[in-house]
Amino acid sequence: MFDKQVIELKKLWANKRQLLFQLLNLAMIVFSALMIWKALMCYTKSESPVVVVLSGSMEPAFQRGDILFLNNSVDQVGVGDVVVFKIKDRDIPIVHRILKVHEDSDGKVELLTKGDNNRVDDRGLYAPGQLWLEREDILGKCVGTLRYVGMVTIALNDYPVLKYVLVGMMGLFVLTSKEG
Amino acid sequence: MHTVWVRLNAVVFFGLTVLLGLSCLAGFSKIMHSQMHQPIIETLELQTLRSIKSHGGVDRALLSFNIDADMNPAFHWNVKQLFVYVVASYTTPSKEINNVVIWDTIIENIDSTKKKHIQQTNVFVKYALVDQGNELRGKDVTLKLMWDHMPITGFVYMDEQKNLDPSMSTFTLPSEYSSLK
Repeated sequence: MFDKQVIELKKLWANKRQLLFQLLNLAMIVFSALMIWKALMCYTKSESPVVVVLSGSMEPAFQRGDILFLNNSVDQVGVGDVVVFKIKDRDIPIVHRILKVHEDSDGKVELLTKGDNNRVDDRGLYAPGQLWLEREDILGKCVGTLRYVGMVTIALNDYPVLKYVLVGMMGLFVLTSKEG
Repeated sequence: MHTVWVRLNAVVFFGLTVLLGLSCLAGFSKIMHSQMHQPIIETLELQTLRSIKSHGGVDRALLSFNIDADMNPAFHWNVKQLFVYVVASYTTPSKEINNVVIWDTIIENIDSTKKKHIQQTNVFVKYALVDQGNELRGKDVTLKLMWDHMPITGFVYMDEQKNLDPSMSTFTLPSEYSSLK
């Protein structure tokens, strides 16, 4: 089944003008995706506007594999908001709900979070000695959700080989598909 | 041009587009529902103040409350669950705004009509009312019922009690440490 694709590739190699055109096509797709991502980053003021839920600590609200849309352009996060936060020296952000808010007259807030499905609050997850989260730790407030989409990301993370296979296949098809 | 791969690609891509479109429609379908159909909240008041003590340097109050809230109107087909919680708010000299969740519950869409009507008396707090410092004594505390619509797909929507006399849910903590025996 790949024979045809290989023949197409050989033809393409012979025709340099066509090859250039197809490469530009491929670049266009990649850069469009990147532009959409960066535009979302600008609009939501969040360093990652879309996140995938990796744990079951917010069940039944969010399950593993759901994706969440974040907005960080809100000034204040309030009690009850589902937020994504990052702990210093830890790579993976956490999605949990705000349990306590203490704000002084200067507007400086201190927050405590808890997962809906966890028995205790998050102090054990924070950095050693850290009792409260601050506004800067919050990557964004969850504003929407879409189910199952994140399963793809989880699969790609669990089986890194899949990543290369998928990207390779897509590249091959974009290069060899003829428009019209 | 009409290889298996091209066809498979077209079918999968089209299928995903349709799914995405339907998800968006589902998200938008009930966007005004929550403004028009409000839960009916009859009661949210302090029942008993069990104790207010110094607990490891910070003030901690334990209490129970009465609640009567019919959450049935808030449900529609794109609500997976309602996260209902009671917030205690107060002001201290060092912190202007203090909002602390003292009780919460999850009502799922598949639960019975009866379970969606929260009607309980003398509910003991799930999380103690703990201050950040030791300034809880003698403060006015207001309880407020809030809820969060968790959608199956689409937008998260949060709301809080209206049309309930706030004086019903307000109480003053004693100015000295005390407890019921």
